[in-house]
Amino acid sequence: MSKILEKNGKAAEKSVSKAAEKATALTHCATPSGEIYPDAIDLAKVRAAHHALYTQRETITADGNTAAAIAALQMWRCILFAGFPITPSTKWIETVAARVAADVGGKKRVKLLEAEHAVADYLVGAAAACRDLIFPTATSSVGLDHMTETTRSLGASGLGNVMLVNVYRATANFPLCIEGDPSDTLAHRDDGFIQLACRGKQQIYDTVLQAPCLGMQPDIMTPTMPGYYGIKDSHRNARLTVEPDAEIHSFQDHWIRSCPLPGLLNGDSAFGNCVTSRHFQGFKVAQRRRMDRVIDILPIIGADFERKFGRPGLAYYDAVGFQNGTPPDIAVVSMGPDFGTFEAIREEYQRLAWTRVAGIAMRLLTPFPREAVRARLAGAKVVLVVNQAHHHGRGHLTLDVADALSNIENPPRIVSVFTGLGGADVSESTWERILDHARSALDGKALPPVAFFHEGTQL
Amino acid sequence: MSGFKEIALRESCFRPGSTLCPGCMESIALQNVGRVSDNGMKTVFTLGTSCAEVSSLAFPNVVAWGRGDTPPDDFHKSFGIIHNVFESAPTLAEAARDVADLLADHGAFAHPVQVIAASGDGGAFAIGLRSFLHTIYRRSRVTLMVLVNEIFANTGFQYSPATTPFAETSTTPVGEASLGNPRPPLDYIHLAIAAGAGLVAQVSPAHPKLFVKTMEKALACKETAVIFVPAPCISGWKFEDGETVRLATLGAQCGVFPVFVWERGDGGSVKDCPQEVAERPAIEEFLGAQRRFHHLVQKGPDGKFVPRPGKEEAVDRLRTWTQSNVDRLYSLATLH
Repeated sequence: MSKILEKNGKAAEKSVSKAAEKATALTHCATPSGEIYPDAIDLAKVRAAHHALYTQRETITADGNTAAAIAALQMWRCILFAGFPITPSTKWIETVAARVAADVGGKKRVKLLEAEHAVADYLVGAAAACRDLIFPTATSSVGLDHMTETTRSLGASGLGNVMLVNVYRATANFPLCIEGDPSDTLAHRDDGFIQLACRGKQQIYDTVLQAPCLGMQPDIMTPTMPGYYGIKDSHRNARLTVEPDAEIHSFQDHWIRSCPLPGLLNGDSAFGNCVTSRHFQGFKVAQRRRMDRVIDILPIIGADFERKFGRPGLAYYDAVGFQNGTPPDIAVVSMGPDFGTFEAIREEYQRLAWTRVAGIAMRLLTPFPREAVRARLAGAKVVLVVNQAHHHGRGHLTLDVADALSNIENPPRIVSVFTGLGGADVSESTWERILDHARSALDGKALPPVAFFHEGTQL
Repeated sequence: MSGFKEIALRESCFRPGSTLCPGCMESIALQNVGRVSDNGMKTVFTLGTSCAEVSSLAFPNVVAWGRGDTPPDDFHKSFGIIHNVFESAPTLAEAARDVADLLADHGAFAHPVQVIAASGDGGAFAIGLRSFLHTIYRRSRVTLMVLVNEIFANTGFQYSPATTPFAETSTTPVGEASLGNPRPPLDYIHLAIAAGAGLVAQVSPAHPKLFVKTMEKALACKETAVIFVPAPCISGWKFEDGETVRLATLGAQCGVFPVFVWERGDGGSVKDCPQEVAERPAIEEFLGAQRRFHHLVQKGPDGKFVPRPGKEEAVDRLRTWTQSNVDRLYSLATLH
């Protein structure tokens, strides 16, 4: 026995000395999630390897998918693009792939997976491997649904360096409809992502640039889901101002600092533990608190963006027609590009109908900015909520607006309508008919809990 | 290749603290892999949901992973582990591998990394067959370890696509109208080869030297290496404490899960399992040691297990399947 021990001891000695030869001592420090080795990854090398797409401000013509792809490509922290095609988001990954393929000497890579679920899993692994890089993808509709098992994990993961661009398309395939309808994004309100709705190519581009600044804040660390309407915004062209990469880097570097928690590569750490119900509550409360911080930080990032680039930055909503001290008769709540048609007819409608009309287009869907929405809508006689996604109740937006208005004295009357389902255009005549419907509430008329409108008629 | 004793004295990344059943083969396998991977390379482990995960990463229990009692000063001994959903371990591993390689390509990460994914057979062959095959198909430089206990163990011992024919599971119960699992298992070894793996092996720590040597080869493989670890499950297979290694040996020798090692370009071999049935232990000995097969066999007067009256045909069919399983692996071994 003693001989065996002696022999084993020598083997161990040999093993230790071999390991010592290879040993790499790095500075390390403790964090709540394990040990971090801050010098293990040299991000300056990644930054230096970035090839700029634009060296000066330019105006180009682009569709929404291209705008979102360019924004992602301009970030030095985006070096690995995972994707799987689905209409109408496909052009995002195609655009990224084309630019990466054309970049001689470039080090960025595209990763094509076998399904959306795989993309979501891949994002988890990649974002956990290095928490200082940003890992984007784009998907739509049932693609997002297919990811769901993992998006719900991602939402709780603390991996704010994941950005999932959601190009809105109706969900459910009976019947299949490939056009822009936000039922996909609204069905994923509880996934745990920060959901930002955009309208117009410029807002898409600008939002994608700002989203990681929000998600990667140390007290937020929550993945982001910028979204825009399929076809209406994803496929139609418009002018787009693109900023020089250097300016984008300067803006993002101000907001994105090294993640204080370890990743798989620069840490001694564990992700994705299981817990008993006794401890589950604590994790969910912490997740909720991180999400709540979005309300505080988002307007600050938005204001900084506006200072730097001269265009409106992130906001809770876009507002039109509100006047200090004079609340509107009808306050519209909606989202997406069809709100632009409302903006176009609003003044004329006011004049002809002798009714003060204002409106907000929601930009921040999750967390829903209850206080800000309440403050904006308080005093209106009627709040008209225009929903564009199928819902078996009064509408996703209606529920949130009703919640926001629930604690005030003499709350406005809420009128809930559906229009533009499946991405149908909401025409001027449809808007006028919807506003007439809301105006009848001003007169005290009883209205059904919901009403459907299309092509200028009530269905 | 390192010596077996040297490896046995290394520091495992699978540490005390798991709540796996005492004597569980998964625990033995993970301890061994933990030692093999203590080789001067940073280790990243990815876990699909499985017994191995729920028993080792449960908060606020001790996380049964990591090297040493304190965070290592040597970065290469540092250890990262992640669990996501059942089917995700191969994809998570591939992602970590890609990020490490891409950072290295940028000159931003100068440390060698080895990435190991561990799934159960339910996670790999049922809900996760897509991710399992596609990670292999993409030739990702990771090691996929599948702990094959032939059931969904952590959800209560249900049928999986790796369940041996006629085994009783909680969803293929034995009754007047049923003799247990009615179908042969998925040919997962062939699938892994066909999908493009660089190394495919079926071996458990019951063959300790070969297991360790194969795992070392897997970690050095330039393509996807796939190690199927037959993992007798005390609770699911219903056998006595202390029988784990004997059952793993017997199952391999009698042809239910023969030891098999194959490398692309070199071909492979079947070990410790002769092709001739007469040279192998009787299948009844393997069946008799587990209560999941007690509807088929019973002890004879001489103490050896024999088919129960009326179940001779079922045991014959199982014997036939076992022979086809052995023949198939001998045939796969000739592929290059």
